[in-house]
Amino acid sequence: MLNYVWISLIAVGILAAIGNDIKDEASNTYRNGQPILVKFEVRSAPTGSGTTWIGDFVISVEEFNHFYGLNMSGATIRQPVTLNVGSSGEGSFFFSTSDGTPARWKEMAKSASAKDKLTGKVQSLSSSENRKSAAAQIVFEPIRFVKIKAVTQAALDYANTAVEISLGLIGIMALWLGIMKIAEEAGLIKVLTKLLTPLTKKLFPDVPPDHPAIGAMIMNIAANMLGLSNAATPMGLKAMEELNKLNTKLGTATNAMCTFLVINTSGLTLIPATAIAVRAAAGSANPALIIGTSIIGAACATTAGLIAVKVLQRLPRFRKDLEVANG
Amino acid sequence: MAEFFRSFVNLISVLAIPLLIAVFFGWGFAKKVKVYEVFVEGAKDGFNTAVRIIPYLVAMLFAIGIFRASGAMDLLTSILSPVTGLIGMPSETLPMAMMRPLSGSGSLGIMTELMKVHGPDSFIGVLASTMYGSTETTFYVLAVYFGSVNVKNGRHALPAGLISDFFGMLGAVFICRILFVN
Repeated sequence: MLNYVWISLIAVGILAAIGNDIKDEASNTYRNGQPILVKFEVRSAPTGSGTTWIGDFVISVEEFNHFYGLNMSGATIRQPVTLNVGSSGEGSFFFSTSDGTPARWKEMAKSASAKDKLTGKVQSLSSSENRKSAAAQIVFEPIRFVKIKAVTQAALDYANTAVEISLGLIGIMALWLGIMKIAEEAGLIKVLTKLLTPLTKKLFPDVPPDHPAIGAMIMNIAANMLGLSNAATPMGLKAMEELNKLNTKLGTATNAMCTFLVINTSGLTLIPATAIAVRAAAGSANPALIIGTSIIGAACATTAGLIAVKVLQRLPRFRKDLEVANG
Repeated sequence: MAEFFRSFVNLISVLAIPLLIAVFFGWGFAKKVKVYEVFVEGAKDGFNTAVRIIPYLVAMLFAIGIFRASGAMDLLTSILSPVTGLIGMPSETLPMAMMRPLSGSGSLGIMTELMKVHGPDSFIGVLASTMYGSTETTFYVLAVYFGSVNVKNGRHALPAGLISDFFGMLGAVFICRILFVN
């Protein structure tokens, strides 16, 4: 199953990227080769035989929208830029993207020849008498294969992210595994396990009720409910390790593992802290409003997940995976 | 009521870890467990577990990265948006529902964007944040948890996880419609 989903994500991604790039090429989304007329407000004009102009490209949102076929809203666009234009009025320009740069130009800059820097030709520059402003006709460097380039970049970036996440776990993993080991040796986990035996026997019939895996799973679920994700992951991984000791076919998930994972992926949390923080930052009158609705949503997810996992594990297709080990 | 519940749970969350450590260590000490030696013994596994996850997480995140960067999500959204209208789900929140199991940072970005555009207290804002709180990043959890014990055949965990996500999203739409749409 994971095989199919994994290969589909990659295949759909690459096909969609190619499709999107063909579409962009056909409709010339980035207006390759088409000149646009902008106002150039001069901050520093060249002196003597110099050719470097520093200033801002200024263009109204309406004109920008008209040129690129967008419907953006907002204030007049003002982009700091450096020009290299001689007395003939022809030359080149470049700018690095910043917060004020319109989204379309940022997008273009991402796959430009120099990353996050857009360059192009100045076809004409006619400055006013006092050299304070000028009318400039500019053409951007051709922008092609935006999505394909983005896909390549993402593949590399995410591989890095994965390693960073994993290595970032080392410290807290060590801490919590150490703490858990003490609890285990002291017999605390056993006490906890006994209290919840009636429930865990139903959920994990294959796991002996006094097995250390049960204790670790209980603590993982409790930590998740309290939103202590830093503690929950190490406890969950500890639980997986214990469950794996009962596994007769290493490399294949047991029924108990699947049940445990579904409880984890449905994410039953009493306080969805991240969502509340984002709401508060966005200026909500009542950021905590979603506590109740989230609990109900997560309860639906957990119930559906548990039913699904118990039904699916009976299917011959998934039972077969386990049986091979016994034969 | 909601405020009280929130501060109560917050209090438990703040106290849980120090209390847990105090109780575990105190109990262990009383039971004559050699706490320092045992702690170090347990902590030793931390490094190996973290390193064991790397190939699984690289495989998963790289595929998700390709999918996200390709713009395939926009395509899927436009295909599926007629269906969402039937259950009263605004089509703006469809990318949120589809991104949630795939990527935590991706769905966080979509939620933030939706709130910026529609306002956090609009129906779309409330629904998006409820969706975010209703489920976990299934693919990430699967890669990390299975990776830590070298499980390559996850059997029915993924379909069950996705079914759970689907119903979590349905539940979020359902409850938000009942409470926030007259």
